[in-house]
Amino acid sequence: MEDFTNNTSQNPQGQITAQNQKPSGQNLGIGALITAIITFVLAVIPCVGLIAVIPGIIAIVLASVGLSQASRNDAPRGVLIAGLIIAVVATLISFSQIFVAGKIGHKFEKDWGGNIENIINDVQENVKSELEDANVSIKVESNGNKVEINTNPNRQNREQELEELEKANNKSNDTLEKKK
Amino acid sequence: MRSWKRLTISLMTLWKRRSKSDSNLTARFRNEPYLLINSVLAGVIILIFIYSGFFSPVNDSYPVACIHEKLTGEPCVSCGLSHSFSLIVRGRISEAYEWNIYGLRVFLFFALQLVMRAAFSIFYLKYADTRKQLVTYDIASSIVLFLICFMPYIEWIVTQFAQLTQA
Repeated sequence: MEDFTNNTSQNPQGQITAQNQKPSGQNLGIGALITAIITFVLAVIPCVGLIAVIPGIIAIVLASVGLSQASRNDAPRGVLIAGLIIAVVATLISFSQIFVAGKIGHKFEKDWGGNIENIINDVQENVKSELEDANVSIKVESNGNKVEINTNPNRQNREQELEELEKANNKSNDTLEKKK
Repeated sequence: MRSWKRLTISLMTLWKRRSKSDSNLTARFRNEPYLLINSVLAGVIILIFIYSGFFSPVNDSYPVACIHEKLTGEPCVSCGLSHSFSLIVRGRISEAYEWNIYGLRVFLFFALQLVMRAAFSIFYLKYADTRKQLVTYDIASSIVLFLICFMPYIEWIVTQFAQLTQA
C-alpha cells in the first residue's frame, strides 16, 4: 500500500515543507484514484452504469500516464496501481452492463420486433382493402401549372350495386303500398 | 496615534500568522494525498446531497434519466433512486422506500462515507503514529460498507449477465 505519511516535515519556524520533491506522476495518480472510485460507484448503479465507461477510460489513461512517468523517475507507484486496478474493474462492470442492455435490446427486437412487423403488415393490408374502392386524387403543382389526377377503380361496380339495392327497395315499397 | 499604530501592528501580525497557517495547510494537503482524496470524495458526496435537495420530487424534473430503461424498455433495480434520495433529504422516508426499495441503503452509504471521510481525516492528523493502520482500516471498512449497501445492485447485474450469457 502507498505510504501517505512520509512526505512532509516541519522546519524550525513550524512551517511544513516538502521533504523531497513530489514524486513524478503522483498528481495523476491521485486524479486517477478519485476518478476510479467515482466510476466504481457509478458502474454498480444500473441506471447510470452504462455511462461509467467514459470516466473509467479517463481513469485508466491517467493511471497509465502516471505509471509511465513514475517508472521513468523511479517514484512510488502504489496510488497509481490502485487507481488503475479500480478503474479497470469499474470499466469491466460498466462494459458488462452495456452487454446486458445490448442483449435485452436484441432479444426485444427478436421476440417482439417480428410480431410488431406482422401487426404493421396486417394493418397495412386492412387499410389497403378498405381504401380499394375509394377515390384517389393526386394534385401536382409546379410553377403555376396544376395537374390533377383522379382515379376511381371500382366505382362502376359500386354504382351497379347501389342501383340494384335501390331497385330492390323500390320493389318492396311498391308491394307495401299495394297492400295498403 | 499610538493606539492606531498598535492596532495596525497587531493586525499585521495576525495576517502574517494566518497566511503562515494557510500555507501550512496547503502544504499539508499537497504532500498528503490521503487528505486530498478524502476532501475530494467528501465534496462529491456533498454535491450528491445538494443535487437531491435541489430537485423537487413533486416536479419530477431530474436531469439524470435511467439509460438502461431508455435502451431496453425495461425498468432496472435502481430506477427511482434520485426520487428516493430527494424524499430522504426531505425526511419522507416511507415514500422514499416506495420509490426505490434500496434507496435508503445507498443513501446511508453516502452519509456514512461523509462522516468517515471527516473522522478519518481528523484521526489522520491527530495520530501520526497510526497513519498506516488508519488507512488500512478505512479501505477495509469502506469495502465492507460498499458491499453491504450495494449488494442488491451487484446481485442484479450478476443475475442479468448470467441469464443472458446462458440464453
